[in-house]
Amino acid sequence: MDQSEIDALLAGGGKTPKKAKTAAKGPAVAAAPASTVSSEPHQDGNGHVISELDTVTSVTERESNKVMDQLDQISQLVSRQQQLVTDMMRHEGAQSPGVQKAIHEVMSASKEIQDKVFEAMDLMQFQDITRQKLERIVHHLRQIHDYIVDLLGTGLKSDTERPSISHTIAQTGTTPDENKAHADAVIEAFKSQKKG
Amino acid sequence: MKILIVDDSSTMRRIIINTLSRIGYTDVVEGENGKSGLEKLGQGGVEMIITDWNMPEMDGLEFVKTVRGQNAAIPILMVTTNAAKEDIVEALQAGVNNYVVKPFTPETLKEKIESLLG
Repeated sequence: MDQSEIDALLAGGGKTPKKAKTAAKGPAVAAAPASTVSSEPHQDGNGHVISELDTVTSVTERESNKVMDQLDQISQLVSRQQQLVTDMMRHEGAQSPGVQKAIHEVMSASKEIQDKVFEAMDLMQFQDITRQKLERIVHHLRQIHDYIVDLLGTGLKSDTERPSISHTIAQTGTTPDENKAHADAVIEAFKSQKKG
Repeated sequence: MKILIVDDSSTMRRIIINTLSRIGYTDVVEGENGKSGLEKLGQGGVEMIITDWNMPEMDGLEFVKTVRGQNAAIPILMVTTNAAKEDIVEALQAGVNNYVVKPFTPETLKEKIESLLG
């Protein structure tokens, strides 16, 4: 949540933070009498947690894109620097061995920076993986919420049925190399079976 | 070579686009779910598809099945968090040519793309 969102929240008369306090008492919903549970799904603890998680996923995606923007800019600056150094290498005054050596060192360092920037960009995959894990949690929370509502006989289920779009991500978190080996093995087995 | 990337995560699309540009593929179109992927595909010129599985509105599996109903030849690479063996087999049966599990390395993506393009 950024400052503008905090400001908007505060401008709303502090009503939402009060809800957050209610959300912290989530388990109390199950113990409450049916009449108190019959409020709108998003007014209760579970509904609020769900919307909070939704906000978390959208905010992290937006912030991840800001990080990507910064990394893009660093990458462009390094490319520009490499171009300038390449131009410098052709300059008559830069032909002495000492200068050439220094220029090569600068180029080598630039390449290392560029590689690290690309590596950092690749690591941003965590955002998508975390988002999907949170979506799965939201899906389970909805199921628990609906189960409790059923149990208490209020008949008020989640207003918006949003099935988890995450299938099975139990094996995520393993290394990319392990992931690749696993997928490749299944693909090979599938192909062999098809041929046979 | 125009490549269609279908993923609901804008971060992931950027990562894939970035990786593709590093290996020489800069002509890219994007879709944020299967439905918009089909729209982009309908605009023509796409020679390869990289798609996610878990997406709202139309997921990757349904997208692949729809594409295969219209085009049996276009190479399709699925890039997803779904790592279970049954999922991989289901995707292959739907018509996916190759499969990458997230998180992936740029080398893996490069290897898979090159193997698909023969």
